Amino acid sequence: MPMKGRFPIRRTLQYLSQGDVIFKSSVKVMTVNYNTAGELSEGARKFVFFNIPQIQYKNPWVQIMLFRNMTPSPFLRFYLDNGEQVLVDVEDKTNKEITEHIKKILGKSKETLEKEERERKKLSHPATFGPKKYHLRECMCEIEGQVPCPAFVPLPKEMRGKYKAAMKKEA
Amino acid sequence: MSVRRGTVHAKWIVGKVIGTKMQKTAKVRVTRLVLDPYLLKFFNKRKTYFAHDPLQQCVVGDIVLLKALPERRSKHVKHELAEIVFKVGKVIDPITGKPCAGTRFLENLSDSENLTEADTTYLSEKLQELKVCSTDN
Repeated sequence: MPMKGRFPIRRTLQYLSQGDVIFKSSVKVMTVNYNTAGELSEGARKFVFFNIPQIQYKNPWVQIMLFRNMTPSPFLRFYLDNGEQVLVDVEDKTNKEITEHIKKILGKSKETLEKEERERKKLSHPATFGPKKYHLRECMCEIEGQVPCPAFVPLPKEMRGKYKAAMKKEA
Repeated sequence: MSVRRGTVHAKWIVGKVIGTKMQKTAKVRVTRLVLDPYLLKFFNKRKTYFAHDPLQQCVVGDIVLLKALPERRSKHVKHELAEIVFKVGKVIDPITGKPCAGTRFLENLSDSENLTEADTTYLSEKLQELKVCSTDN
């Protein structure tokens, strides 16, 4: 049974996580003014239809507001933390060009993202064992080449505590 | 049980004014896009904020930008009016600066009466460039 809607791929987690525009922490509000008719707004309409879900998914704390048919020309407006406002004219631009432009002006650069990724990796040590939430693996028995879990394969007699205690007692 | 919280979560918000019956206070509705966990679609979720408007210049239907106050003014008022983005009925297109209504401008954009000689020659040159020449096959 196929998914419902016009382009249901927009409603998949894989598509949403493919968004590459991550705003800087100073961007608080994004406002999109576009028109529902007219060729000049075509790029803006495609941007709202395809790219806004990706952007909101990646930036959950940015307020995004959409205004339809308020002004003849389509534009984007960003409100930053220091009171500054950035106006982006998107008349006659394709949605790809719009995303590239805002990524360049207000998106976090690749170096910043990599640095943040490294900081996050530093917090967790990959060689420790524990609950799945905090560690990669839960027990040594999960690793290939190590002693398998006694729940599935019984341990050989020599490794069992019962046998070892009996041997000690005998000696 | 009144906990004096230090700072507000939302520093800058944009919303629509829905009520001005209170003195020097505007009731603003703010919509945010929230992802539905099953449908994986974004829906508008609304929340009302009260904003301090000392000059009472807001009318119902204005789109306003609110700024968080450093400390709470009263039990519910935590924001103040920073600027009116779009005034209802008097929307100004920020790209051209002209008043507009819906998808059309209210005043005549072209001022062909005030064009100088240099302007007309420049414009006619540009028009020549844009003319599509048909290739003879």
